[in-house]
Amino acid sequence: MLEGTLVDLVPFEDDFAIYLETWMNEEAWFRAHVWERREPHTEDDVKKYIENMEKNERGGLIGFQAKNGDPIGALIFDHEWTRVRKAEVRVVVGDSRYEGADEALDGLLMLVRYCFETRNLHRLDAVALPFHETWIEHLRRAGFVHEGTLRQHIRWDGDYVDLEMFGLLQSEWPGYVQKVAELSLQPSDIEPKPKPEKKEQKEAQPS
Amino acid sequence: MLSGLLVDLVPFTREWYQEKMHAYWNNESRLWATMGECMPISRASIARIIEERAQGRARGYSGVHFMIRTKDGVTIGNIGLNWVDYHSRCGYLGAWIGEEGYWGGGYGTDALLLVVEYAFDWLDLRRLALGTMALNVRAQRNVEKCGFRLEGRERQATLVNGEWLDALTYGMLRGEWPGRETLIERLGLREKAAQRYAIQEE
Repeated sequence: MLEGTLVDLVPFEDDFAIYLETWMNEEAWFRAHVWERREPHTEDDVKKYIENMEKNERGGLIGFQAKNGDPIGALIFDHEWTRVRKAEVRVVVGDSRYEGADEALDGLLMLVRYCFETRNLHRLDAVALPFHETWIEHLRRAGFVHEGTLRQHIRWDGDYVDLEMFGLLQSEWPGYVQKVAELSLQPSDIEPKPKPEKKEQKEAQPS
Repeated sequence: MLSGLLVDLVPFTREWYQEKMHAYWNNESRLWATMGECMPISRASIARIIEERAQGRARGYSGVHFMIRTKDGVTIGNIGLNWVDYHSRCGYLGAWIGEEGYWGGGYGTDALLLVVEYAFDWLDLRRLALGTMALNVRAQRNVEKCGFRLEGRERQATLVNGEWLDALTYGMLRGEWPGRETLIERLGLREKAAQRYAIQEE
């Protein structure tokens, strides 16, 4: 477990895997991945996604949860480019009650911390749909710099919308501890949701 | 085949891919226009890339690639759409002129106009995007005069010869495209072609 200020980073398994079957078919997932086609993800798709991310040598899928153990969502880094030491980051706030909350911001800060302070990356990329204001606000508070606008780049809900590009350099990151001190994060005290029902294991039928 | 004034765009041949790409990728390093990603590459590696590309089609690979051939039959490079997002109707352009003697003569511009026209008028795309590195001023000038606008500058997004360089993204919407004929006139391509091939005939 990697301990943050308002959240902890944990392996993406157990309850997270169950929640993902819902999360991967919801707005937060589509928005974070700029997933314009939003085909439904079946149980098998979700399972395969988790497996692929486990095997992914250029990326990772990390669960983040509130200090009371309530799962919030997924922290993702991907397309890590060894030579240039850069990767793309996204945060999926699966539990929409945490959308825009400081827990989600701390998730981003912890992801940045992991990428810069553990993986020693040089640069992080992030993209945002222009109407995803909470995410843009979190990127800015984390120190990301707006680097451009791809005009009418994405088909979205009957329209063509821009895609905002952001970047953060390792040299611009003051370190997690100092960053958190600057931001004075506040817990949102959301009640933990009830644990998801465990799926029944299919027993092998004697032949 | 797409027919221009200085060049034609023709399908790739395996021979060309194997021999020319081998030559271009192993050129003197000053001729490399990649994003700093370069190392000596073997014929076997290139053969594998060809194979992967061929198999990619079955997996939904959407790229469209042409060889650039001068009107007198010299193949000088390649151009195409590295990736097409048919849902958002956006294509990503890529080009490479491997023969240094054909830089600056309008060949790349002629090829670019053909591909842009093809993307808008035949594939019905509504946006084109492309990336280059800050170092490649020639490419920036070329795409700007054809109607592309600088949309993004990713700071220190690549490393070239030991130095961090910005990566630039350009975009053009179909409504901003002046049209191939207009640009041929504006850029004097007809004159360039007449001059080039008249000299050849003498």
